[in-house]
Amino acid sequence: MKSLNIKWILPFIGFLVFNTACTKVIDINLNDAAPQIIIEGNISSESGPYQVQISKTINFSDANIFPGVTGATVIISDITDEMKDTLTETSPGIYKTKNILGLIGHSYQLSVTAEGKTYTAISTIPSQVKLDTITFQKTNRFGKVHINSVVNFIDPAGIVNYYRFIQTINGVTKEGVHLFSDRLADGKFINQQINSDSLEVGNIVKIEMICLDKGAYDYFRTLRQVTGGNNFQSVSPSNPISNISNKALGYFSAHSTQRKQAVVK
Amino acid sequence: MYKITTLLIGIFCFVFSIIILAQQNFSISGTVKDYKTGELMIGARIYLKESPTIGTASNAYGFYSISAPPGSYTLLVGFSGYLQDTTKLVLNNNITHNIELFEQATELQEVVISSEKKHNENLVKPIMGVQKLTISEIKNVAVIFGEKDVLKTIQLLPGIKSTGEGSSGFYVRGGGADQNLILLDEATIYNASHLLGFFSAFNSDAIKDLTVYKGAMPAEYGGRLSSVVDIRMNDGNSKDYHASGGIGLIASRLNLEGPLVKDKGSFIISGRRTYADVFLMLSSDTTIKKSSLYFYDLNLKANYKINDKNRVYLSGYFGKDNLGLGGNFGIDYGNSTATARWNHLFNSRMFSNTSFIYSNYNYNIHIVNGTNDIIIKSKIEDFSLKQDFQYYVNNNNKINFGLNIIKHKLNPGVIDASALSNFNSLTLQSKYDYENAIYLSHEFSPTERLRLNYGIRLSAFTIMGPGNFYTYDSTGLTIKTDTYNSGQSVKTYFNLEPRFSASFQINEISSFKASYTRNIQNLHLLSNSATTNPTDLWIPSSLNVKPEIADQVALGYYRNFNDNSYEFSSEIYYKALQNQIDYKNGAELRANDNVESQLLFGKGRAYGLELFLKKKTGKLTGWISYTLARVEKQIEGINSGEYYPAKQDQTHNIAIVGIYQLNNKWTLSANWVYNTGNAATFPSGKYIINGQTAFYYTERNGYRFPSYHRLDFAATVLGKKHKKWEDSWTFSLYNVYGRQNAYAITFEDNPDDTSKTQAVQTALFRWVPSVTYNFKF
Repeated sequence: MKSLNIKWILPFIGFLVFNTACTKVIDINLNDAAPQIIIEGNISSESGPYQVQISKTINFSDANIFPGVTGATVIISDITDEMKDTLTETSPGIYKTKNILGLIGHSYQLSVTAEGKTYTAISTIPSQVKLDTITFQKTNRFGKVHINSVVNFIDPAGIVNYYRFIQTINGVTKEGVHLFSDRLADGKFINQQINSDSLEVGNIVKIEMICLDKGAYDYFRTLRQVTGGNNFQSVSPSNPISNISNKALGYFSAHSTQRKQAVVK
Repeated sequence: MYKITTLLIGIFCFVFSIIILAQQNFSISGTVKDYKTGELMIGARIYLKESPTIGTASNAYGFYSISAPPGSYTLLVGFSGYLQDTTKLVLNNNITHNIELFEQATELQEVVISSEKKHNENLVKPIMGVQKLTISEIKNVAVIFGEKDVLKTIQLLPGIKSTGEGSSGFYVRGGGADQNLILLDEATIYNASHLLGFFSAFNSDAIKDLTVYKGAMPAEYGGRLSSVVDIRMNDGNSKDYHASGGIGLIASRLNLEGPLVKDKGSFIISGRRTYADVFLMLSSDTTIKKSSLYFYDLNLKANYKINDKNRVYLSGYFGKDNLGLGGNFGIDYGNSTATARWNHLFNSRMFSNTSFIYSNYNYNIHIVNGTNDIIIKSKIEDFSLKQDFQYYVNNNNKINFGLNIIKHKLNPGVIDASALSNFNSLTLQSKYDYENAIYLSHEFSPTERLRLNYGIRLSAFTIMGPGNFYTYDSTGLTIKTDTYNSGQSVKTYFNLEPRFSASFQINEISSFKASYTRNIQNLHLLSNSATTNPTDLWIPSSLNVKPEIADQVALGYYRNFNDNSYEFSSEIYYKALQNQIDYKNGAELRANDNVESQLLFGKGRAYGLELFLKKKTGKLTGWISYTLARVEKQIEGINSGEYYPAKQDQTHNIAIVGIYQLNNKWTLSANWVYNTGNAATFPSGKYIINGQTAFYYTERNGYRFPSYHRLDFAATVLGKKHKKWEDSWTFSLYNVYGRQNAYAITFEDNPDDTSKTQAVQTALFRWVPSVTYNFKF
């Protein structure tokens, strides 16, 4: 239902009628805040090693160099199989698993102890939904042909499913959060558009379809509301809803994943 | 309930004792009309020269009634911009006296007004926080796109703030945009805007009178916390057939009116349509060509005077917006209302009005995309009966009482998806409610200097079946589901709403006023976008959502200068708000039967100082308005439960409006506005996640937008006068010095240097010129 966004209509009206909207970079004196911990943890149905990344917030005016948090104790345990893996720090702030496996239906717990505080999160790998095909859709937008990729799959009826898509074009992973939930679409044949800048003929488009649980989905859903220009329409942006305890920022996602590739013709 | 009954009986006894005392006087009653058009005049001043304290103002139907002991009198009737009517009367029984006032020729204005003695209604009336605008004032004020607009003009008054650049939406004394009751001929308008807020739903050609109550509303009004905007439509010329209209850059208007039966009945039809879509047709681009972008509205009214004691009115409003993008996306929305009214005079002192009112707001969305073909529909429908009595007991006592029954039906949404769509069809549960009220108020003057208006409104909001009614715990999980059948009542919220205001006249030119008001609101608008959105959701009070309550106290000092040609007023107010609504982080408000589980509740407070100086006469007229205000909310789960400024919190707000009558042909006007930027949530840090930069937020609305200011200019020139034909041109320029006022501020990586982040401001309008041609014959 993204098409309902007013964000989309307003510039349209501005463009058509008034043609006067203008933007400029401004100086705003933003407060500095005490650095906060961000945890980004993933475990998937693909083979490992899996990675947990721990970093800290910096001030808005700082250059985009995000410091990793070193020396943390990071453990991922398989609750279903009662198995534990203590991760190894391979570079500052990057922690990798040794032998744990992501299995569909299993629940995993992430535990991070850093700078005297412990953060935990639980996430479950849901069953995989088959990604059928990737197709392309051409639409006319203000006189230009716009090409989008479309992910085609059948949502299994009777169970709650959450999806996330990652698009890679000619080997470059694109920013942006692409999500779908079957809240209003249970059991349907889904052809989900992946919104992006227009693709070009000849582009090799790879799409990773991720099935994730509600906690991880809610994180990405609320992340999407405040990133990628979406803070334009939100009245009161806030930090995304995290599934990690102790007020950490970030998420822990246990998910199933599969990939398909197609060439734009 | 026992207490309420005792109180009501007490008031009735008191009122009856007044009625009995009142019998030795005779009354003069009748209607006040415009001589040329036969339009009934609202708020004309009627008083006796011999005892100027005996006086009243004509009501919403032009009716007045005053009483005096037997004797000879001179009856004076005045209205701003009209010649005063003087009639000598001998009062030895009840007299019916209908009055017709002559409009002044513009060039005479100065002389005549200053000869008028008593012009200080604003001082003596026991009513606070009220603002009235006449159409002639609205006509000359510059607004964006040159479309004169009542809702944009009231934003230049103290305590009333715009919801955003170019918007017809407004906040009153810190209240939300949904806390304004907007009435058009008594029918509720749920979305008073066109084109996503850039135009108000009201065609000013069709409007006779507009009154804004900013808090101390009389007891006959209820249902919203912050304000009542009571808009009355023209009745139509009962003497002659006339047509008038205007051609603007954005819209054109046409107005037809005339007698049904001369001096007995009249009709008016007023229409308006935009034609931006005509330009779309000219485009070579097929997306644009296939797009639609227009709105129209139509005001219809007819009235007929059956005899001296009975008059009936029928009015209707239809407004529609249609936005479509290249056949992929379309939305249409609009209000329709109908009001049937019957004025009845029981006797020269007892006026009654009975209204049957229908109001409807709906929207339809159509999405076609790939294999998707989805229609989403939503509707609010009200049927209501309103019975009002006005009893003019004597000069010191006037009693208003009546009742109001509204049946609400809300269809929050029906999703109709074709078989090949990504989505399933879905019907959200409809909601049925009764909103009933009875009221009684008494306006009286215990002494010559003191006037009181006190009253009480008892409101009852009944939630009706059929449907499932959920109760949620604090985390939003359903803990209980109750199922009710059609016609079963689920719960009733009773509320007593006291209304009190007093004015004390210190001397001829100044007065003090004080008021206390409680207001209740049972329909709440959920909106999580920054702009006026036609798809914002109205929800009724329920088992989880309690009625919103506002208690307001206000004090005021009023003074007139220079023979009443300058009016000054200052008011301070404090408002305490209960059961205020906000949303959980990441709330899912769309197509959600459990939308109430996404809400948070808390309280609020608003306080401020409003200063207003108005120059009413002379070549230069206009006003200066200043507001110093604060509005804060405290909601469990937001900002660690601490008070935080609401979005609409603006510390300073200034508006200066000047209208200068250069000569008989040219009128110039300018207005300048300044306000502190709205409160906003900006980041206090950043981090990287999922390969992209994200922002870290620490507190709700802890920052401010840059201050807003703007100058507008307009000039109107009258064409050569012909016997039957009059015309004029209006030229206007919005944002004369082209300031880029921030409409939105976004934060992003610098596209030229991705190692840095930047704040980007979007401004909507710079230098919007417009020209409008108006005619009349």
